Amino acid sequence: MSRNPNRLLYAKSHEWADVATQGDSKVATIGISAFAIQQLTDLVYMDLPKVGAKVSAGEEFGEVESVKAVSPLYSPVDGEIIEVHSELPENLDRLKEDPYDFGWILKVRLTNDVALASLLDHAAYEQRCNEEA
Amino acid sequence: MNVPIRKARLIIDKPGAASWNMAVDAAILESLTPNSPPTLRFYQWSRPTLSLGYFQSLANRAAHAESQVLEVVRRSTGGGAIVHEHELTYSLSIATPTQRTGASHSMYRTVHDCIITALAEAGLKATRFGQNLGQKKSAEPFLCFQRRTEEDLIVSGYKVLGSAQRRGAHGILQHGSLLMAASTGAPQLPGLLELSSHSALQRLGVESTDRSGRGLVQMLATRLAAAFQVNWDSSGLSRTEFERAEQIEADRYGHPNWTERR
Repeated sequence: MSRNPNRLLYAKSHEWADVATQGDSKVATIGISAFAIQQLTDLVYMDLPKVGAKVSAGEEFGEVESVKAVSPLYSPVDGEIIEVHSELPENLDRLKEDPYDFGWILKVRLTNDVALASLLDHAAYEQRCNEEA
Repeated sequence: MNVPIRKARLIIDKPGAASWNMAVDAAILESLTPNSPPTLRFYQWSRPTLSLGYFQSLANRAAHAESQVLEVVRRSTGGGAIVHEHELTYSLSIATPTQRTGASHSMYRTVHDCIITALAEAGLKATRFGQNLGQKKSAEPFLCFQRRTEEDLIVSGYKVLGSAQRRGAHGILQHGSLLMAASTGAPQLPGLLELSSHSALQRLGVESTDRSGRGLVQMLATRLAAAFQVNWDSSGLSRTEFERAEQIEADRYGHPNWTERR
């Protein structure tokens, strides 16, 4: 099933979050937006954190190197990493084609909902991207 | 319409340890707020040093025999390894109003164009490499100056200036290296002294024995001030930045875990 970008939440730093309920907790699947991937141009390396690591909204969880620039990746949520997409760093060329399905980076079990309120919906994020572009 | 001239900071540092040089750049980047003025810094290295690109493997240095004996540091920026001996290193840190990602091509272009113009006025033709050839990372040489990307400056077929960027929460750091002369750690890479005539060096204001590039600093600072529409203020690091740099040096660039992280 394809993930619909119109239904995702977005951080101002260009990460998307797909939040779903799993049992008693909420899990956010996180990736980087098509707009950001376009800005990054050719990606050559990506650093991912380890499963079990804690992440906080607005703090770095990884890094990506495009041609001539290293850019941090920021967590849009608070929680604990329960899965990382380990195949992604070796297949970065596929991010451009498929940022919302193959391009997922992390799954995070949320410790609270607080950060979700400051994320943007698709329309607001798109407006922000238009302003940046 | 007149564009207002902003105040900005110029730091001309004495040669420093590799770990300190990298820590200062990181502290400046981390300390940026959306309203911070730009900081231009020129610095040199107290000992010849090999700096690895952020994502390079330390083990790969084994493939480059000439630089084996050199001290090594891992940069926060990407790209290939650089032998810092007879070269001038600069860094430019600029606040960005929104959280952006990827390279700032305009920043590369502005800095590199200043250097192209300065060299041209001395009679030295430097050109941007132009569209890169789409090399795969597996084919990339170990040394930065043997790689080619679009913004690199080429003189007589040799790369003399390469820069790399890192994004932070509120800004971007670009640092780069202008190769002045071949070093024992990378004898295959000629610099401006080998690629220029004596008269061109004179016009640049560089002594033919100045392998540090010090003679270029003021001229480049003046050109960059005009390009970025700023006035340089030569204040140094703030106390907060200095203390942060000390912490970063201890925790990161001076620590084996950072250097050996891949």
